[in-house]
Amino acid sequence: MRSWVIALIAGLAGIAAGVAYGWVINPVKFVDTTPASLRADFRTDYVLMVAEAYHSDHDPELAARRLAVFGSEPPATISGAALNTAGDVGYAPNDVVLLQELSRAMQAYQPAVPTAGSTP
Amino acid sequence: MRRLPWQVLVALLAGMGIGLAYAWVIAPVRYVDTSPNTLRSDFKDSFRTVIAASYAATHNLDRARARLSLLGDADPVQALTAQAQRMLAAGDSFQVIQNVARLASDLQAGESAGVPASPHPPSSTSSPIPTVSTTAAPSFTPASTPTETATDTEPPPTAVPIVTATARPSATPIPTAAAPFELVSREEICNSNLTSGLMQVSVLDRHRHQMPGIKIDISWAGGEETFFTGYKPEIAAGYADYVMQPGVLYAVRVAGAGSPITDLTAPACPDTGGESYMGGLKLVFQQP
Repeated sequence: MRSWVIALIAGLAGIAAGVAYGWVINPVKFVDTTPASLRADFRTDYVLMVAEAYHSDHDPELAARRLAVFGSEPPATISGAALNTAGDVGYAPNDVVLLQELSRAMQAYQPAVPTAGSTP
Repeated sequence: MRRLPWQVLVALLAGMGIGLAYAWVIAPVRYVDTSPNTLRSDFKDSFRTVIAASYAATHNLDRARARLSLLGDADPVQALTAQAQRMLAAGDSFQVIQNVARLASDLQAGESAGVPASPHPPSSTSSPIPTVSTTAAPSFTPASTPTETATDTEPPPTAVPIVTATARPSATPIPTAAAPFELVSREEICNSNLTSGLMQVSVLDRHRHQMPGIKIDISWAGGEETFFTGYKPEIAAGYADYVMQPGVLYAVRVAGAGSPITDLTAPACPDTGGESYMGGLKLVFQQP
């Protein structure tokens, strides 16, 4: 067999070994993740918790702060996405109502703008 | 024996390098669709805080318990208690700490403080709480059995939400820390095995559940101090203690509300040799 064929086979075997090591033997570890990477149903349940608390305290700023764990997306977007997922998954009607209430509040919510003299 | 051609060795190593680069850099194990048990510890704290806030609003202990289980804590009560202590040390809002402590207390007691005497019938359904297990499930399909997923390698975790019919009791006001506590028991303790002058305080809610994270103010002529319940969960979640000095009269107030209990002092206890030693006090406070 020609030497370049052997080298090609060895190269392919090396690639296979490398991928097997990286995916199976020593893959990237799932640790210290952020809420932004959570699966949709977990995110939705978190937003539902925020909605339940909001229904009790009616504090849109606190609710927005709680939703901020998902990153820089606007709270209205986060709550809207949760509402859609809740519909897809088949949440109970009273929970959907809570999510709607939160979604409406987040759409109306305007974060406080720092005053001119405030520190950054 | 024939020697391996050097070209083959180089090709093998280069191939392995390309394979690792592909597996670790170009297309690593997908870092999406994770479950809460993989969250960083500070995000887990945020989750517990929101679970506690939700519980304070709904009083649905089953749902709170299911949600806490997603975080994968070996002992959720201990995790909540420890978090309440961290929040106390960080100077977080008392109401937020109180919610966390309340949930820990109710979980320990195994029942919801808000369940009794609901004037409205509970709804018959509630939404699915996603759960986590170590087996793979192929899709995101509603199911009524606990067959959910999350793995830390490929394939990425997928799960099926469980449909549970958990009653949602109506909102019954939770007793807050602002409600005055009453001294329901005061006992002199003569036990030479205990620290001399030990004042043991237990704080209970109206259902006699231990209450961690409750502030206790103690004052005497010329000074005052503050301490909290919950720092010795191995004794009880609502337990705290303080070492009294001989001959000093103390006044104790719980949660900054109500009238202080005054004229508290370490008793003199007789020992077997006819001498005396400084005993302790055991005080139990409860919300009416």
